[in-house]
Amino acid sequence: MDRPGPPAPIECTGLSRLFDGSILAVDGIDITFAAGRTTALLGPSGCGKSTLLRLIAGLEEPTAGQVRIAGEPPAALCRQGGLSIAFQDPCLLPWLTVAKNVALGRKLARQAPDPQGVDQIINLVGLGGFQNARPASLSGGMRQRAAIARALITRPRVLLLDEPFGALDALTRRQLAQDLPPLWQDQAATTLLVTHSVDEAVMLAHRIVILSPRPARVVADIAVPLPQPRNPESPAFRRIVGEILAQLARGGEMAQSLAAQ
Amino acid sequence: MTPAARWTGPAALLVLWQGLALAGGGWLLAGPSEVAGWLWSNPGLTTRAVAVTLANATCGFVLGNGAAIGLAVIAALWPRAQNLVAGLALVVFCLPLIATGPILRVLMGPGEGPQIVLAALAVYYTTLIPMLAGLRAIPSAWLDLVQSYGRGRWAELVHVRARASLPYLLAGLQISAPAAILGAMVGEFTGAERGLGVLTIRFTRDLDIPALWSMGVVAAGLSIAVYAAIGWAGRRVLPGTPPVILAPPRLIRGSPARRLADTALLAAAALTLWWAGIELLGLNPFFVKRPPDVAAAFFGSPDTRAALLDAAAKTLALAVPGYLAGLALGAGLAVLLSLRPGLAGLMVPLAVALRSIPIVTTAPLVVMLLGRGAAGTVTLVALMVFFPTFVACQQGLRQAPGPILDLFRSHASGPGRQMLHVRIPAMLPALFASARMSVPAAILAATVAEWLATGRGLGNLMALSASVSDYTMLWLAMVAVTLISAMIYGGIAWAERRVLLVMAPEQVRP
Ligand SMILES: Nc1ncnc2c1ncn2[C@@H]1O[C@H](COP(=O)(O)OP(=O)(O)OP(=O)(O)O)[C@@H](O)[C@H]1O
Ligand SMILES: [Mg+2]
Repeated sequence: MDRPGPPAPIECTGLSRLFDGSILAVDGIDITFAAGRTTALLGPSGCGKSTLLRLIAGLEEPTAGQVRIAGEPPAALCRQGGLSIAFQDPCLLPWLTVAKNVALGRKLARQAPDPQGVDQIINLVGLGGFQNARPASLSGGMRQRAAIARALITRPRVLLLDEPFGALDALTRRQLAQDLPPLWQDQAATTLLVTHSVDEAVMLAHRIVILSPRPARVVADIAVPLPQPRNPESPAFRRIVGEILAQLARGGEMAQSLAAQ
Repeated sequence: MTPAARWTGPAALLVLWQGLALAGGGWLLAGPSEVAGWLWSNPGLTTRAVAVTLANATCGFVLGNGAAIGLAVIAALWPRAQNLVAGLALVVFCLPLIATGPILRVLMGPGEGPQIVLAALAVYYTTLIPMLAGLRAIPSAWLDLVQSYGRGRWAELVHVRARASLPYLLAGLQISAPAAILGAMVGEFTGAERGLGVLTIRFTRDLDIPALWSMGVVAAGLSIAVYAAIGWAGRRVLPGTPPVILAPPRLIRGSPARRLADTALLAAAALTLWWAGIELLGLNPFFVKRPPDVAAAFFGSPDTRAALLDAAAKTLALAVPGYLAGLALGAGLAVLLSLRPGLAGLMVPLAVALRSIPIVTTAPLVVMLLGRGAAGTVTLVALMVFFPTFVACQQGLRQAPGPILDLFRSHASGPGRQMLHVRIPAMLPALFASARMSVPAAILAATVAEWLATGRGLGNLMALSASVSDYTMLWLAMVAVTLISAMIYGGIAWAERRVLLVMAPEQVRP
């Protein structure tokens, strides 16, 4: 399989986004994401996580600050087909089969068709046998898995996943969280994963960034020094989960005191 | 619907028609038996005329719809051009066929040219507008997806917009098929040698009632056949999936100043195209008038101005009530049928038949039946507006979001409440779209009635000017009709924004 290039580092400096002149969604974020690492973004609902991903994907213009991916604006990487984003909503085209929806990723990235690769990735996300099904006949979770497959098929340099497991049941979530790390490591893309599940974040990420309630600011930045595969029952795992839950609670308090000032 | 139920409606209509014809004793009303008899004894004449009309209508259909698709694609690739494209298209669509027909005839000679051009003019707008809506009616996330791969408008068009607009295109093509036949027949009225329109004119002059009704039946049958054929082909192209309209077309908004600038730009572009077209094509100045000629005639001669304004007032006095009645009937029937689906078997064929009989054949008959007074013209205009409104509103009612209907059902809200709170708001955008599109059609119906039957108003003024070669007056009337139609259209678009902001705000916000 061809791929657009090695994983690319992402650098945000003073990144802000104001909506409609008054809603500040992202407020002066300075952060870098090292090439080839997976970072989970945690934060309360509506805090600006999706907005941050959209800024990094170049789908939203910052009102202040900038995003640089491998030293260039996001648009440059997008034009190479080196960036994939899986939206909160699966965003499949209803008239295409699952296989064609996945293949659309390659088409849009101007990569040569690769039917075997498409088949392989569909099996990997657990949709084997549904290649020729249309999105309308899939469950919400199956649609999300198809969207993940479409994001992975281009072997991107930067992979942005916005709550990719949002519509999945707890069991399938855990299953995917176990299946996906090898896949990600194989891809070695710089991955940002937005999630609401602390377990999932600790399971999948090298690093966990906790954002404050809107406007999003970084309140904690935690490394996860556990080797893969990780065991969610292990004491080390539980300790990190506990630390993160404490940080999340503190983030809420911090925002409240900021708002009170 | 069971096959039996599907045929009871048309059968009942046939019986009703024959009964009326018998009761009338052959006066102005020929029943199915007389029509069948006439057609049986004149097979060659009918077939030849049908072949000619159908060939011209097909050429016009292909040309007009090709142009519509091309313009819609241009607007999708250059969104800034969209308002201008739609505006110019509207101006051309508002040109009265009754005036363009004779002008095309003197320019193009006695061949098939005017029929084909008029058929194309009659179809392109009803395809362009749904296409423009369809190309834009997609979730913004799909466009984000394309953009996230660094691709531009062309990739959007190829991978997302084109396919998403297909149901809209098919809906537009289906509506435009009968319009092509109507356009071709109006073209034939302006002095062609062959075709259904030529026969209709002849039989109207001879007051040959069975023959005239036979022409009406043949034209209606042809229109129903092409309407059904495109519908069938559409279902083949999009198997299983009914044309899902994913989101209502977004209205292009802008500040009042921006809209004023758009209108000024449109007027300038229309005038430039008009003038430059004449100069570039080297058209004969006796037949083709330039903007200054028309302005001089209007402002320079009080008699001309008085005649024009008087005719316009007469036309509007009948066109406006007929137009409103057609809208009310179309929307009302759609609501009624959605509450009482059992009636659809009877009403839908009636609606299709009424609409499909080309106005040019109905005009003399309706006016003969209802008299030369107001009733005939008003009825004719209402008929013309009724059917597209009915179809659009039926579609609109089906757009009601399923989850919200489920929510109402879960609160045990009856069909009446669901209708009031969910379905009718969901229908409003379709009703307004149809109201806008029907403006030129209503003016066409009124002027055709005036031209062929009542001998008053703008229709008569245009026909008279054409016959005495007063081309200045003909152009003046054409400009006046176009301006009036475009202004009413703009007024409805304004009302649409107001009403939707209150009734269905989610449909107006981008
Ligand atoms: N296009 C927009 N216009 C105006 N406001 C917006 C827009 N997009 C997002 N916002 C606002 O920005 C804030 C952050 O939104 P965002 O979607 O980034 O949240 P999120 O963290 O992804 O939430 P969730 O976890 O619920 O998905 C919200 O208050 C939202 O109302
Ligand atoms: Mg979000």
